[in-house]
Amino acid sequence: MSSMNGTFSISQTDKRPMYLQIMGQIKQRIAVGDWEEGRPISSIRQLAVDLRVSVITVKRAYLELEREGVIVTQQGKGSHVASTPGLGARLREQELGKYLEQAARIAAQLGIRGEDLEHRLREAGDRISEKETI
Amino acid sequence: MNTWVVGQLIRKDWQLNRVLIFASIFAGILALAVVQLATEATAVVGSVWFFIALILVGCMLPIGIVNERKKQNLAFLMSLPISSIQYTTSKLLSSTGLFLIPWLTLVLAALLSIGVRGIFPRGVIPLLLILALMPFVGFCIITAASLMGESEGWGIAANVACNSSYGLAYYFLCRVPAVMSNAASRVVVWNSTILKILGTELALIPLLLGVTYFVQSRKRDFV
Amino acid sequence: MSENYHHDLAIELRGVCKKYRFFSLDHIDLDVPQGQIMGLIGPNGAGKSTTIRILLGLVHQDAGEARVLGHRMPAEQVTAKWDIGFASEDMRLYESMTLGWHMNFIRSIYPTWDAAYAQVLLKRFGLLAEQKIKGLSHGQRVKSTLLLVLARKPKLLVLDEPTTGLDPVARHEILRELTDVMADEGRSVLFSSHNTQDVEQISDQITFIDRGRIIDSMDKETYLDRWRRLRLEVPSGIELPVLPGIIGVRQEGRLAVATANAFEPDLANAYENSGAIVQRIENMTLEEIFVANVAHSREEVEA
Repeated sequence: MSSMNGTFSISQTDKRPMYLQIMGQIKQRIAVGDWEEGRPISSIRQLAVDLRVSVITVKRAYLELEREGVIVTQQGKGSHVASTPGLGARLREQELGKYLEQAARIAAQLGIRGEDLEHRLREAGDRISEKETI
Repeated sequence: MNTWVVGQLIRKDWQLNRVLIFASIFAGILALAVVQLATEATAVVGSVWFFIALILVGCMLPIGIVNERKKQNLAFLMSLPISSIQYTTSKLLSSTGLFLIPWLTLVLAALLSIGVRGIFPRGVIPLLLILALMPFVGFCIITAASLMGESEGWGIAANVACNSSYGLAYYFLCRVPAVMSNAASRVVVWNSTILKILGTELALIPLLLGVTYFVQSRKRDFV
Repeated sequence: MSENYHHDLAIELRGVCKKYRFFSLDHIDLDVPQGQIMGLIGPNGAGKSTTIRILLGLVHQDAGEARVLGHRMPAEQVTAKWDIGFASEDMRLYESMTLGWHMNFIRSIYPTWDAAYAQVLLKRFGLLAEQKIKGLSHGQRVKSTLLLVLARKPKLLVLDEPTTGLDPVARHEILRELTDVMADEGRSVLFSSHNTQDVEQISDQITFIDRGRIIDSMDKETYLDRWRRLRLEVPSGIELPVLPGIIGVRQEGRLAVATANAFEPDLANAYENSGAIVQRIENMTLEEIFVANVAHSREEVEA
């Protein structure tokens, strides 16, 4: 079980609190499909030991994730990824939504809105497609 | 359960000090061997060396105690499951025990060599005992100062004080007529002066150690 | 003397006081629940070492109650110390003896000595049992002392500055061993450190001590959550309101930085309502909190 946490990277120089980083990394694994729905995950204590962080930080991360419906913790049985079908896709959607909002916020500060904004977004999309075909 | 830990501490002190113990026994026996060469010069030289061996072990053993505190080994020891009074007990027992090993060995060896070989007449035996007990008393003084003193200065001061007194003490003792009067006789003669001196020395030993134990047991901040 | 101590507290201090000539510990209250790591931070001379020594029964408090693993200290220190592993920065081993001798010495006393784990630690720490202590570098000595304490697997680890003076690799090894201890929820750790990064990373609870008094003591996540730095733009003519939960504001021209130790989103709104612009709300590292906290608590005392 501890081998599943081998690629987690928690950084103290990252300005975000550690529990958020942990949440982000767990969500990422689900979003990408590495951790499928229903898969068991490390206990709070085990993850804390593997990451060399405090138990309370992992506990908080798990609590928040449970509140968001991403994982489920059962007394005595440990934790697992929520079995909701399409969870991975939903998380990816959420990520996208977050980035789009951020982009819109910066654009608004620069005075770019509406059609302009749409145009810029399409440009960016095209650039990505170009790179993929090369 | 705690005799075990105290026992381990005593064993530890033995391991730390056994070279010194063996060296002092060796030096003392060597001194006695020199005496056996049977000239006046070797008798004097050998006797002096003999007492020096006793004096040396008496002042070097307590140095270990001072060092234990100075070199901050005390925090390490007190993290073990013992109380401060058990530490003091282990120290008193191990130091005294460690001292007794060479002291008893050498005094017995000296008594044997007097009884068997006769370089010195047997009348010298009470004098030998009086003189041999002095490093023992000195050892107790230095040990007491080292254990009770909060800084290393006390142990050093006691060491210096004792070492500078032995010469004077020996000189004055040898001038007491009651002590020397029967030194040349072929049998052992005890008189009240000799017994009083021996008694005082023997009483001082448990007194000094007991006072040390008492004072240490009162301390509230041990480390 | 209260008999109703909590069985699930590894450490419990109530009203502990100790007076020295130039320094006193003043009514120290401290709880460390079992299975947790408590980080003790504070400036030099704050009283961390004294508090720790009282926990070990090495110093007898003048007032107040100290219980460690349920045992009253210093009265029951011998019983308690069977299950406590203590290592402090000023602790020294016997120079003329080898590390292996020390390992045998500890093993001869404690039945919980785990020889296999001791070997693992030797390898991880890069130490040789045959080496005499006097031949070791400072970092190696610290690691040796910690090895002796870790290999016994005690129920409670009390460490005074365990990572001070260690290179980054050694520090990470120690942190690894300390978090490994947490795999067993019956074991607890209290450690004091200047290294706020280490404390921030592995502590479940944080206690702040300065000049003999406890300034803060609570779980780390809550604690870190209460502190924020708000970067404000203050247009001319606007005066920043004094808000509860803000312990300090520094202003230079039109830019200001407000430090909050009881942050709520309402604080940001209050500033915005007053006409200032909240540019950024930043989390603070434990080190930044440390500095701000000490400065603030000293101002309070002087006021």
